[in-house]
Amino acid sequence: MKRLLFLPLLIAAATGLSSCGKDEKVIQAKGSDTMIQLASAWAEAFNKTNPDIKISATGGGSGGGMAALENKTTDIANSSRKIKDKEKEGIKKATGKDVVEHMVCFDALSVYVHPSNPIEQISIEELKQIWSRDGTIDQWEQVGGTGGKITLVGRNSSSGTYEYFKEHICGKAADGTTMNEFRLGVAELVGSTEVIETVSKTPTAMGYSGMGYKNNTVKWLKVSKKKGEPAIEPGELVARNKTYPIARELYIYTAGEPTGDVKTFLDWVKGPEGQAVVSKEKFVSLK
Amino acid sequence: MDSPKRSTARKSRLSDRLEKPIEFLIRLAGWSAIAALGAIFIFIFKEAAPMLGRLDYGEFFTSNNWTPNPAEGNKAHYGALALIAGTFSTTAVALLISVPMGLAAAVYLSEFASGKVKEVLKIVIEFLAAIPSIVWGVIGLTVVGPWVQSAFGANQPGSLLVGGTVLGLMSVPLIVSLSEDALRAVPDTYREAALALGASKWEIVRRVLFPAAKTGLLAAVMLGLGRAIGETMAALLATGNTRMIPGALTDPVATITAAIAAEMNDTVHGDDHYQILFVLGLFLFIITAIINVVADIIIKGRGMHHH
Repeated sequence: MKRLLFLPLLIAAATGLSSCGKDEKVIQAKGSDTMIQLASAWAEAFNKTNPDIKISATGGGSGGGMAALENKTTDIANSSRKIKDKEKEGIKKATGKDVVEHMVCFDALSVYVHPSNPIEQISIEELKQIWSRDGTIDQWEQVGGTGGKITLVGRNSSSGTYEYFKEHICGKAADGTTMNEFRLGVAELVGSTEVIETVSKTPTAMGYSGMGYKNNTVKWLKVSKKKGEPAIEPGELVARNKTYPIARELYIYTAGEPTGDVKTFLDWVKGPEGQAVVSKEKFVSLK
Repeated sequence: MDSPKRSTARKSRLSDRLEKPIEFLIRLAGWSAIAALGAIFIFIFKEAAPMLGRLDYGEFFTSNNWTPNPAEGNKAHYGALALIAGTFSTTAVALLISVPMGLAAAVYLSEFASGKVKEVLKIVIEFLAAIPSIVWGVIGLTVVGPWVQSAFGANQPGSLLVGGTVLGLMSVPLIVSLSEDALRAVPDTYREAALALGASKWEIVRRVLFPAAKTGLLAAVMLGLGRAIGETMAALLATGNTRMIPGALTDPVATITAAIAAEMNDTVHGDDHYQILFVLGLFLFIITAIINVVADIIIKGRGMHHH
């Protein structure tokens, strides 16, 4: 009887030991929700050729990825925007290492509307007046659309796409010195998929997300720098050569130069196999 | 082979020896709830404390300018009015749905349903309670949302009505289970006495069972309210997560819990944004505590009045 009692303990100890002893490495990859499907696809494809290294890809937003680097809960941070100085300093202070930036692909940040809206194109100037707190446009009719008041569908503040859009679209405030904030009352959704889903069901919506999230339930707008200039549709070539006005780079950040398995993974991502996954996920490969 | 007598003696000696430690364990389990509550309060308070001293409370309660993560060079603003309005309005809509539905279902189960039906319904209701909140949220966004759009002309799929409905439906199973227990705890002699006086079934429910079970029923409603006010994932998805003071049931809103969930990821331990989210948590904690204490006073006050 007494010996039987020890059995579960023995089993527990044995399984505990075996899972510790086995050399399965897990690389934590946290951050951008825009890149989450891409990161998961990378993880899966990479694991096929490197079965002893596992990548665990999770979202939380680009800001979340940077915070995780600083909190030391991730190995690499996916980001759909450039790192901020404040974040660089924070990570240096927490880990003692300088942040290293790895550009991994391009994206055309796209402006999505409901398919029933007749509008076809928009300028950066108009987008600024629509999305900024001090903006002057809040009706579709002001920019050639229909439906009255524009319903703004954005991302939550930990999203890199949110930050990128705020910086590059809202830009400087009317006083010319301080930076603009988003208008109050913008929907803050927690994923790109949710943005597309909401825009597809809201006739008066305007939303933003990566080009990889386009499907036939929504329409994207051609974008021009200024009103009257030729407007450009999101696409591979125009994203890579930056003729599309809101083309951006997507990054992976590490604390210090990557070594070991993390280096193996990053080299693979920038190599032909990783870049093939980029194209398959409808983002734009480096070459 | 032991004689029966010896075996009984050994058993009783064993239970004697175990009585003290078991009593201690039970006592510990009882007190652990209070310890956990205290620990949670202390943790939330500790994380929020640095912000409490320098927060502009006027702005917090009266402005809807919530800009916790400003562009470089700009000042952060912590106006939580729209979030507070969002939490209270969705909870109110949720209660309008869950209380009548929950109480009606409980009355049906305890007073009207017959054996087989009752058993099946109880199992189904318990199963409903086990559905994860993220599933409720997705159902809200993809099923209830479009329905509210076509029926009430809502502009977008997520709204106060959709969020409140989903939170209300989520708290129904809890309210049903607890209310049914409370109703069944009323002794049958009450029902028989009322029947003998010629009361109809409806009169028995309204004049006899509800007053007799009111403490339990109110507790059920309070727990349902707690579930609705504290629910996060479903609220995040089904309300449209838009910080504005709702002017209509079809307007989108954002709740305090949703703000904490959507923004906590973005924060570094101890920075201003992190602290203000804990201030929101503390606010929610205090509101829940006040509601519970008030409910307690109402129950006790009424009780004293009657006896």
